Amino acid sequence: MWLVFFKELKELLRDRKTLFFMIALPLLIFPVIFGIAGFVSKQAIDKAESKILNYGIVGAEYAPDIVEELQQPDKFNLIDIAADDDYKTIIRNETVDFVLVIPENYSNDVLQNGQATIKLYFNDAGLNLVYRRVNEIVESQSELFQQSAFSTLGLNESQQDALIKPIELERVNTADTRENWGEKIGGMLPYLLIILCLQGAMFPATDIGAGEKERGTLETLLISPIDRNKIVLGKFLTISFAGAMTALITVVSMAIWGLVLSQGMAIQIVADFMAQIGILDFVLIFLMLVPVVAIFAAVLLSISIYAKSFKEAQSYMGPMMIFVIVPIMLSILPGVELKGGWAWVPITNVSLAMKELVKGTMDYFQLFAIFGSTVVIAGALFAFCVYWFNKEKVLFR
Amino acid sequence: MIEIKQLAKKFAVENPKKLSEQEKKDPRLKGRFFHSVQDVSFSCQKGEVLGLLGPNGAGKTTTLRMLSTALKPDSGSVEISGENVLTHPVIARKKIGFLSGTTGLYGRLTGRENIHYFGQLHGMSEELIAQRIEELADLLDMHTFLDRRSENFSTGMKQKIAIARAVVHSPELVILDEPTTGLDIMATQTVLNFIRRLKAQGTPVIFSTHHLDEVEELCEKVTVIDQGKTMFDGDIDTFKGLADGSLHQSFMAAIQTTASE
Repeated sequence: MWLVFFKELKELLRDRKTLFFMIALPLLIFPVIFGIAGFVSKQAIDKAESKILNYGIVGAEYAPDIVEELQQPDKFNLIDIAADDDYKTIIRNETVDFVLVIPENYSNDVLQNGQATIKLYFNDAGLNLVYRRVNEIVESQSELFQQSAFSTLGLNESQQDALIKPIELERVNTADTRENWGEKIGGMLPYLLIILCLQGAMFPATDIGAGEKERGTLETLLISPIDRNKIVLGKFLTISFAGAMTALITVVSMAIWGLVLSQGMAIQIVADFMAQIGILDFVLIFLMLVPVVAIFAAVLLSISIYAKSFKEAQSYMGPMMIFVIVPIMLSILPGVELKGGWAWVPITNVSLAMKELVKGTMDYFQLFAIFGSTVVIAGALFAFCVYWFNKEKVLFR
Repeated sequence: MIEIKQLAKKFAVENPKKLSEQEKKDPRLKGRFFHSVQDVSFSCQKGEVLGLLGPNGAGKTTTLRMLSTALKPDSGSVEISGENVLTHPVIARKKIGFLSGTTGLYGRLTGRENIHYFGQLHGMSEELIAQRIEELADLLDMHTFLDRRSENFSTGMKQKIAIARAVVHSPELVILDEPTTGLDIMATQTVLNFIRRLKAQGTPVIFSTHHLDEVEELCEKVTVIDQGKTMFDGDIDTFKGLADGSLHQSFMAAIQTTASE
């Protein structure tokens, strides 16, 4: 059995394609892609922030203070426009980036003139920070007016607050930071890990089942004096190992790159969050994958040995991904929790458990249900695999 | 040495509609089963080379696969030096070396590793495997490419490695399923030399082929199979005596005898 395992592994490691998918992709390519994406989006935001905006203003005479605020040559540039221009057109042909229309009733005497509505015309499709940048200026003016109105009325500070917002609904979160973040990160984790496991197991599975049939080495293997069960077990272990390794390498590489790339505050949050999750939880998360990988390996090997060729095997395996994504998706639906029946649903229970472990709210008793159901299913599938491997109809199709 | 008696094997037909016209006419198709091999018997003694002849689809490959334990016969018996192959397949496998024209190698392993792996599967010790590989490398002249990856080998090189792999455990019986089909002249010669060498060592060889000149040159015994039944089983001289002239006519005569029955 180990003989078969080590030989398959050796062969696998000599294949550039496998190495690429198993190691290079998660280790280098993913971080590079994410890095580039992050860099580009940061550049875009920086650019939007520092861009000099061309603007037109109508009714400037009513609000000299705003006009004054806008006179910052490194941020805003005034373009003369007529009041009866079509704002939409001049924004579209990029004469101006935005148009500010100030109403007649604009005045610092709020109590007298009531609320003033300034209209900001701009193209809000796509990434831009026009609203934010103009709002900064308007907001500060608004506050000044508010203060002067309050002082005219002679209100003290608590009366002011009450007037601004008579009733405040305060959010008190009983979940600690770990639970809060765990819900978000923990929901993503199973997707990543389980899909990666499947992905990592798929190629070796095709190679050592259908591939062996296609190359004509299977028959020789079958008539060598070794039990069929051992051949199956050896192949099964290779596939499981490849799947688990792919997931492990990816997670480790993400953790490392995450630490390397994040800076300042971010690193503190990540580090704190990581520190809260105990080693035991990490180990458990990884252990969870073992039975899942076993299920995948058994199914993939059965498919692979049934297929006549590499191509056939790959087309059978394609839909596997959908079958796997559905139970993971179930785990993030509201009301689906790790108890009762759900703890027995394969893959769903594992994704739920991963989330719970990250959140730190794991009911460790449920581990029995999880491991129980997954082991039973994996065992049954493996038994089927052995049975399948003894069928002449399958082997000599 | 090896004795095969009344071997039979049927395959379930999954979808009778998919069969070709010719297959439907075949008398071996009975209901939902295709009786690929119905009654095959022959024997081969030490030092003998047996040629298995028959038209395409006669059941040669199925018969040889049953001998090599890849398939399980429905009835009949196979005995190798007194050992029942059907009840103890794993023991029997140690005594058999099997090679077919379509046998492949593990492309990402070197020639040496390919042979080594099968040595290990046969439970041989490391020293023994190393020693055996040296011997075979001398014999088949494989030193120049033994440690290169086999995916880049020429057909001849591949065939040499495949031969070495098949006999690494010094089998008592060698079974070859159309070993020369699809090979070029050089590679064919390698295979034929290899059979000669086995014959000289006294190892019995059973091989199926379509080349009657190979049979004439190498075989003591001839077995002809048609439609899953043994049509002729005897020594080469008797076979030649079936018809005046060439072996081709003898072959036709062997098939004719039963066709007229």
